[in-house]
Amino acid sequence: MFSSFRHSMTWLHTWFGLVLGYVLVVVFFFGSLSVFDREIDRWAIPSSRFEAQPMPSFDRLLEPAFRSILPDEAEYEAADALVTQPLPPREQLEPEEWWAYTTHRDPVLGIGAGFGLPHPKDPEAHNHVHGSMTIDPRSGKVIPSDQLALGSGFFYPLHYSLHIEWLGLGYWIVGLAALVMLAALVSGVVMHRKVFRELFRFRPQKRTQRSALDLHNLTGIVALPFHFMFALSGLVIFSGIYLPVADTMLKPLHDAHEKEEEAQTGLPHDAAGVPAKLVSVDAMVAEAQRRWAARDMAGDVGFLVVNHVDDANLTVSVYRAGTDRIASVGEGVHFKGTTGEVLHEDPPQTQVSSVNEFVTGLHLQHFKHWLLRWFYFVGGLAGCACIATGFIFFVEKRKRQHAASGAGGSRWVDALAVATVTGMVVATLAMLVANRLLSEDLAGRDGWEKTAFWGTWLLAFFHAALRTTPMREARRSPAWSEQCALIAVLAVCAVLLNWISTGDHLLRTIGAGYWPVAGIDLTLLVGAVMAALTARRLWSSTPRQIAIDARGAAYE
Amino acid sequence: MTSPHPSPITARVVVSRVAASTLGGYAFCWGLSTLSMSSLVALGMDFDEAYTLVMLIVFLVFLTAFCWAFAARSLRAVWLVLAGGGGAMTVAAWLLTRSLV
Repeated sequence: MFSSFRHSMTWLHTWFGLVLGYVLVVVFFFGSLSVFDREIDRWAIPSSRFEAQPMPSFDRLLEPAFRSILPDEAEYEAADALVTQPLPPREQLEPEEWWAYTTHRDPVLGIGAGFGLPHPKDPEAHNHVHGSMTIDPRSGKVIPSDQLALGSGFFYPLHYSLHIEWLGLGYWIVGLAALVMLAALVSGVVMHRKVFRELFRFRPQKRTQRSALDLHNLTGIVALPFHFMFALSGLVIFSGIYLPVADTMLKPLHDAHEKEEEAQTGLPHDAAGVPAKLVSVDAMVAEAQRRWAARDMAGDVGFLVVNHVDDANLTVSVYRAGTDRIASVGEGVHFKGTTGEVLHEDPPQTQVSSVNEFVTGLHLQHFKHWLLRWFYFVGGLAGCACIATGFIFFVEKRKRQHAASGAGGSRWVDALAVATVTGMVVATLAMLVANRLLSEDLAGRDGWEKTAFWGTWLLAFFHAALRTTPMREARRSPAWSEQCALIAVLAVCAVLLNWISTGDHLLRTIGAGYWPVAGIDLTLLVGAVMAALTARRLWSSTPRQIAIDARGAAYE
Repeated sequence: MTSPHPSPITARVVVSRVAASTLGGYAFCWGLSTLSMSSLVALGMDFDEAYTLVMLIVFLVFLTAFCWAFAARSLRAVWLVLAGGGGAMTVAAWLLTRSLV
C-alpha cells in the first residue's frame, strides 16, 4: 500500500489526524479549561465564592447531610427494571455507602450516597442507585442542583466523555482519539527528520501554508513529552473502561483476590444484615491524621468513605489529600465503624503502584502548585494550536487544487475546523454569558445553560459552513475572522456581566486577592485581546496574504 | 523498507488496514493483557499489582501495533499477528484462569 515507512506514517498522520483531530482539539481545549475547573465553578456559582474549606465535622455536619441525600431520580426510575418487586418510595431506600471528596481548591463539598436495591433480579449485579449533592461545609446548606458547576460539572466531563452517554460511546471516541494522538506524535517525528531545527523555526511572514506548518511543528515538538504523557495517562486512567478484563474474563481471579484481601485487611466485603450504630467519625479522622503525622506526612482529609451504613459491618475509610505530592488521595486508614478501632492501614506503596500514582497524578493534578497549573493550561492550549494549524495546513495545501476541480473536500474540512476551533470557544463563552444572564432562581437553570452551549456551537457550525463560498476561488473563509471577533465580544461581555450581576469587578477581586474569579476574568480579557488582534490581522492581511499565497502558488 | 511496487491504495485495502490497526490492535491488547495478568498472578504476583503493571504498558503496545499495521508491507501478516495472536493469547489466558481458580 505504501512505498516506504515514512510514506505510511505520513498517511496515518494526515488522515487519522484529520478525522480524530476534531475530537482531539475539543479534548485538549476542555482539558485545558479543566485545569481551572474549580475556579470556573466559583465564577459560575457566585454563592460559592469564598475560601477553600477543609473536610467538615462528620458527626455534627456531614452525617445529617448524608442522611438527607435522595437517590437520583433518573437512576431510581431506571432501577425499576432491575428488581422483581416494586421499589419502595425514593425517600425510603436505605443508604449502603456514603462518600465525601474535597481538594485544596474547594470551598464547597461534594458528597454522595449509594443505595442498595431490595429484591434484585440478578443478585450478582451491582444493584445500586446513587445520589449526590453539593453543600456549603460551613453551614451544611445545600447548593441547589440546578446551579451547574460549569467547570467540574460540565467542561471537565466533556473533556473525557464528550457528554455522549449512549453506550458510553463518548469515552470510546475519546480513547481512540488519545491513541491517535500518540500515533500522530510518533508519525509526526518520523515525517520530520530535522526535528531539532523545526523547534526553532517559525516564519510568520511566509505564505499561510508554510507558517501554519512551522507552527504545527513547533507546538507539536516543544510540547511533545507533555502531549505524549497526557494522552497516555488518559488511557491509563480509564483503562478499566477500555480494557474491562477484571470485570469479564478475569473476574474469577479478581473475585478470588477480593476474598483474599478481605481476609488480610479485615475489611468486610458484604453487609452482615444486622443493624448497628456508627460511633464518632471525627475521632477516627483525628486518629488517621495522628498516624499520618507520625509517618512525617501530616495532611488533610481528601476523601472519606463509609461502607455498610447502619450495619454491623460498618467501616469508615479516611484518605489523605495529595495536595503536596503528585497523587490524588492515598494513605488510607480504615476503621471499624461500630467501635472506632483501626482495622487496617494501607501499606507503603509498591513500586508499580507508585509509578501508577505518579502517571495518573500528573494527569489529574491535585497538587498545590500554581505555576505548574499554568504550564498545564498553556501546554494544553499549545496542543490546540498544534491541531488547529494541522487543519489549516491540510486546507492550504489542497484548496487551490480543490477550487480548480470544484471538489468540496477542503471546504468541508475548513468549515469543520472553524466550527471546532473557534466555534467551541464561542460556545464556551456563550455558556458563561448565559450563566450570568439567567436568573439565579430560574427552575432548570442548568438545562438552559447547556442549551446555550450546544445551540451556539451548532450555530457556529452553520455559520462556518455558509461562509465557505470564497473558498471556491481558493480564498480564505471569512468565518475565521468573524468568529474571532465574536470571541472577543463575548469574552468582554462575560467579564462585564460578572461585574453587573455580582459586583465582583477586577479591582475588587484583585484587591481582595480572590484569584479564582480574578484569574478567570483576566484570562477572559487576555483572550478577548488576542481574539480581537487575530480578527484584525485576518481582515487587514487578506489582500496581502492573497498576494503572498498567489506568488507561492505560482512559484510551485 | 522501500518496496519498488506498492500496491494501489484501494478502498478495500484502506478499510482493512484501518480495521487491522484498531480492531486487530485491540484484540492483540486484550489477549496480551489477559494472558500477562493471569501469568503474573500464576507466578505469585498480587492481582491488583499485575493489573496496574499491565495497564501501564499495554497502551504503549497498542500504539506500536497501531503504527505497525500501517508500516508493515504484508497486510495478511498484520491480521495474522494482531487478530490471530490476540485470539490465541485470549484462549491461553482463559485456560490459565480456569486452572488457577
